[in-house]
Amino acid sequence: MATQLMIEKWLGNVSTTTIGATKAEGGTRANVVKIGGEQGLPFLFQEAAMPNKPVIAFEVWDIPPVDWPDELVKSLGSVVNDPFAWAEKCVSEYKAKILCVRMQGAHPDFGNKSADDSAKFISQLLKKVSVPLIIVGSGDDQKDSQVLPLCCEAAKSERCLVGSAVQENYKTLVGAVLADGHNIIAESPIDINIAKQLNILISDMGLSLDRIVINPTIGALGYGLEYAYSIMERARLAALAGDKTVGSPFICFVGQETWRTKEAMISQKEFPAWGPEAQRGVAWEIVTAAALIQAGADLLVMRHPKAVEKVNKYIGSLMESSL
Amino acid sequence: MTKFKVTFYPDNKTIEVEKDKTILSAALSAGVLLNTSCGGDGVCGRCKVIVKKGKVITQPSGAITLEEKRQQMYLACVTTVHSDLEIEIPVQSRIDFEKLSPQELALRLKGLYSDSEDVIESGQDIIEGVFKHSPLSTKIYLELAEPTLDDSISDLERLYRQVRRVQGVATMQTGLYNIRQLGELLRDADWKVTVTLGKRNDTVEIVLIEPGNTSQNNFGLCFDIGTTTISGQLVDLNQKKVLGTKATYNKQAVFGSDVITRIIYAHQESGLEKLHNAVSDTMNQIAKELINEHKIDINDVACVVCAGNTTMIHLLLSVDPSYIRRHPYVPTANFVPVIRAAEAGIKINPRGLLSCVPGVSSYVGGDTTSGVLASGIYKQDDLSILIDIGTNGEIVLGNKDFLVACAASAGPAFEGSGVSCGMRSSAGAIQKVSINPKDYKVNYTTIGDARPRGICGSGYIDILAEMLKAGIIDKSGKLRPENNKHIRQADSGREFVIVFKEDTDSSADIVITETDIENLKRAKAAIFSATAILVRHMELDFSLIKKFYIAGGFGTYVNIDNAVQIGLLPDLERNKFLFIGNSSLAGARQVLLSDEAMKKADDIARKITYFELSVDPGYMDEYGAALFFPHTDLTRFPSIK
Repeated sequence: MATQLMIEKWLGNVSTTTIGATKAEGGTRANVVKIGGEQGLPFLFQEAAMPNKPVIAFEVWDIPPVDWPDELVKSLGSVVNDPFAWAEKCVSEYKAKILCVRMQGAHPDFGNKSADDSAKFISQLLKKVSVPLIIVGSGDDQKDSQVLPLCCEAAKSERCLVGSAVQENYKTLVGAVLADGHNIIAESPIDINIAKQLNILISDMGLSLDRIVINPTIGALGYGLEYAYSIMERARLAALAGDKTVGSPFICFVGQETWRTKEAMISQKEFPAWGPEAQRGVAWEIVTAAALIQAGADLLVMRHPKAVEKVNKYIGSLMESSL
Repeated sequence: MTKFKVTFYPDNKTIEVEKDKTILSAALSAGVLLNTSCGGDGVCGRCKVIVKKGKVITQPSGAITLEEKRQQMYLACVTTVHSDLEIEIPVQSRIDFEKLSPQELALRLKGLYSDSEDVIESGQDIIEGVFKHSPLSTKIYLELAEPTLDDSISDLERLYRQVRRVQGVATMQTGLYNIRQLGELLRDADWKVTVTLGKRNDTVEIVLIEPGNTSQNNFGLCFDIGTTTISGQLVDLNQKKVLGTKATYNKQAVFGSDVITRIIYAHQESGLEKLHNAVSDTMNQIAKELINEHKIDINDVACVVCAGNTTMIHLLLSVDPSYIRRHPYVPTANFVPVIRAAEAGIKINPRGLLSCVPGVSSYVGGDTTSGVLASGIYKQDDLSILIDIGTNGEIVLGNKDFLVACAASAGPAFEGSGVSCGMRSSAGAIQKVSINPKDYKVNYTTIGDARPRGICGSGYIDILAEMLKAGIIDKSGKLRPENNKHIRQADSGREFVIVFKEDTDSSADIVITETDIENLKRAKAAIFSATAILVRHMELDFSLIKKFYIAGGFGTYVNIDNAVQIGLLPDLERNKFLFIGNSSLAGARQVLLSDEAMKKADDIARKITYFELSVDPGYMDEYGAALFFPHTDLTRFPSIK
C-alpha cells in the first residue's frame, strides 16, 4: 500500500518580488528575476507549489575587496581589481542571473567615495552588464543615506533591490525606492518581531509588501546558523498561516558571513588538522547556503564561484522532484 | 571638621553642614525636599539646583546640558559643599508635598467600587457592602453587677463575664495597663463602663475601658499605602459612614521613586528607620487632619487597616525588605498578625490595633488582595481581569473558581518618572491632550487648571495616541524626519514640543523626546505582554474576558480609546472596561468594617496563585512583539487602523 501523505493546507503564501525591468517594463535589463511566491514550506511539492526556485546572486564590490581571504580572491582572479570586469566575468563566465553590488568604496574607512561618484558607478555598471542588480550600502548608516538615494536615482526604472533599511533608519531609503521604482531590503537583527515591525513601517509609507525582501540576518555554520534558521522558519510559518506582514521573500548574505569565519580564513599551516583551506571555505559557504535554502531562503548572496556552482546544482536537484 | 553654611532659596532656610557633604543631604537636613527618583545616585537628573554663590565640587553628568551648566546648574546628589553656599531650587526640582488638589482628589476617588447588597438605606456617603457589619473594633456599653460576698469573682472576670453575656465572645485577653487601672475605674464609674473590643485574629482583646457610655464614638481609619500616593479614610464604624478621605504623597519619594530603589536605600545607615518614619509620618499627617477636621477624640479611633504593596508594608512595620529583591524573592511576611498601631508608629488610641490586608508574594501585595476583594471578581462566574497600572503593575485573572496574579515591572514612566518632563499627577500636570494633525497645535488640560509644569501618565497616553493618529510618530515611536516649530533636534535626540516655555510654569519647554517614547513603549509593552502571557498561561483568550477592571489612582483619568490605540490595553469592547479607582482603599475599608471581609481577604490571598513571568519562556518574545504601537501583531487590534 502506498504511503498516505499528510497534506498541510496553508492559508497564506509568500509574496513574489520581481527584480529587474526589461525594455518592455521601462528598464534596460535583459532578464528579470522573480523570487518568492511559495505556497507552502520549501520543496514539499506534494503539498504546495514553489513557483520560483532559490536564486544566487554574485557579490561584487565597487572597489577591490579589502578583507577577503587570499583563497577567495584567487578563485575570482585578477578581475577583482576592476569592478566592471569582475561583474562581467560573473555574468559571462559564471552565468550569474543577478548581481549584488556593494558600495563599499563609499565607506569613510574604505575610500570615502562621494555619493555622486557612487551613482556614476551604478550608471556605468548598468551599461556594462544586463542582469538585474541588487545594490547594498557600505554599512556606514550616515554615508549610506547620502549614497543610496543617488544610486536609486541613477538606476531609476531598473527595478533594483536596494538595501538595507533598518528600524532606526528606513525613511530616507524607502522614500528613494518609492520615487525611483525599486524594491527594498528590510534588515532585522535575527528578530522576527522587528522583521515584522519594519515591514509594517515600510508599507505604512506606501511601499507595497511585495516590494520588500527580508534580510533576517544570518550567521554562518557554527556562528548562529541554527538561530537564523529557526527565525526564518518561524517567520515563514507565520506567513503561510496568513500573516502577510512577514510574507516577504528572504535574502541571505551567505558569502559575507562565511568568509569572515575562522574556518574559512585560517591556513592549513596554522591548523594542519583542518586540511587545505582551499576546500574548507568553499565547503563552509556551501553548507551554510544549503541549510538556509531549507529554511526558506529565496535569494542568496554568495562569493566563491565554486560554491555557487555546487549550490546551484543542489538547488537543481531539489527542484527536480517537482517535475 | 570644617563646617559651612548652606542657604536654600526661595525657602530661605539655612543649615550648617560638614565639608564634602552633598547638597542633597544638606537640603534634606534643612527640610527642603528635592526630587530624587534614583535615590541620589546621580542617574535621574531630577535634583538640579542653581549654585548662586560659593564653591562646590561636582561629578560630570549627562543630565546637565551645556546651557544649564552656564546657568550654574548642578545635580544636588553628586555635588559637594566646599564653602558657604547660596542655592536656588528651581520649581521642577521640588517635590510638592501639598495635598492633592480637590479636582485630582475627586478624580482619584471617583468610581470607588463597592459590592452592592444594601445593608442600610443610606445617603451617598454610607457604605454598602455584602459583608456583615462587624468592624475590627466595637464598643459596647456595660452595666456590671456590683460585687457582693455571694458574687465575689474578680473585677476582671466580672468584666469578661458581662462581655460574654452581651457578645458571646469566648476567648478574651487584655493588657496589664487596663488591669492596673481596672479596680478604681470600675468603682469610680459606678460599674457603668464602655469597653472597646478589638479583634486580634481569633481572639478578642479588651483594648480600652472607659467610664460611662461612649459607645457611640467608634471610629477607624483605612489606608492605601502606595509607592507614590497614600490615601486614608476616616470611617464611623457604628454608622458605616465615611467621614472624610484624604490623599497625599508618600514622603518616601525623596528616597527613590520605585520600590527597588527604596529597598536599596533601606540598607544605608538608618535607611530603614528613615523610610519607616517617612511612611508613618505621612499616615499620621492624614490621620491627624481627618481627626481634627471631624472634631473627634483621637482615643475614639481604635483601629487601622492598611493595604499596600509588600515592600510598603515591610517598611511600615520596620521589617527589613531586602530579601524581596534577592533571588528567590521571598518576603518576610505576607500575613501580618494584628498588632498594636503604636508599634508601627501610627498615632491613634495608644492601645489601638493595626491590621494589614494580607499579600500574596513579594511583588503582589495586599493592595492587590484588597483590589480583588473590592472588585468582587473572586465571586463572579464570568472571567475578569483586574489590572493596577503602576510602577509595578499587578494583574489578576480569574473568577469564583480560581485567581492567578502576576506582576509586571513596567517602570515608573506612566507615573511620570524616568521621562524628561514627567511628573506625578499633581497641580499643573498635563492630563488630557489632543493634537491637530494639520498644524500640530496641542490642546491640553491640566490638573487644577494650573499653568502646566509637566506631564502625568494619562497625559502621556493621550500624547502618544494623538501623535500616532497625526502621523507625528511612526508605529515604532520614531518622530517624523522633518523639523518645524514643534519637532526639532535637541542635544539628547529628537523631541516634540507640547507646550512652549512662555506658557508654562517652568523655565523650559515641555517636550516629549524619542527616549521618553521609548520608555513609555517599554512600560506599556510590559503591562500588555504580562496580561497577554497570563491569559495564555491559563490557556484562555482575551475574547473570554467579560470584564476588565482598571485600578489605581492613575486609572481613573485614562482615555480608554487612546490606551487601546497605543496598545496598553487589549482591544476589547470598550464597555468591558471598568474604572474602579482606588480599589485598594475600598477593600481596606471593607476589611475595617467587617471581620467577614477580613476572612475573605485572607482566603483571597491564599487562593491567588502567583505566576512568575520570568519563568515563562515566551515572555521575552511576547514583550518584544508588544514593543510597537499598538502591537506587532496588528490582528490583535482590529479596531485600530
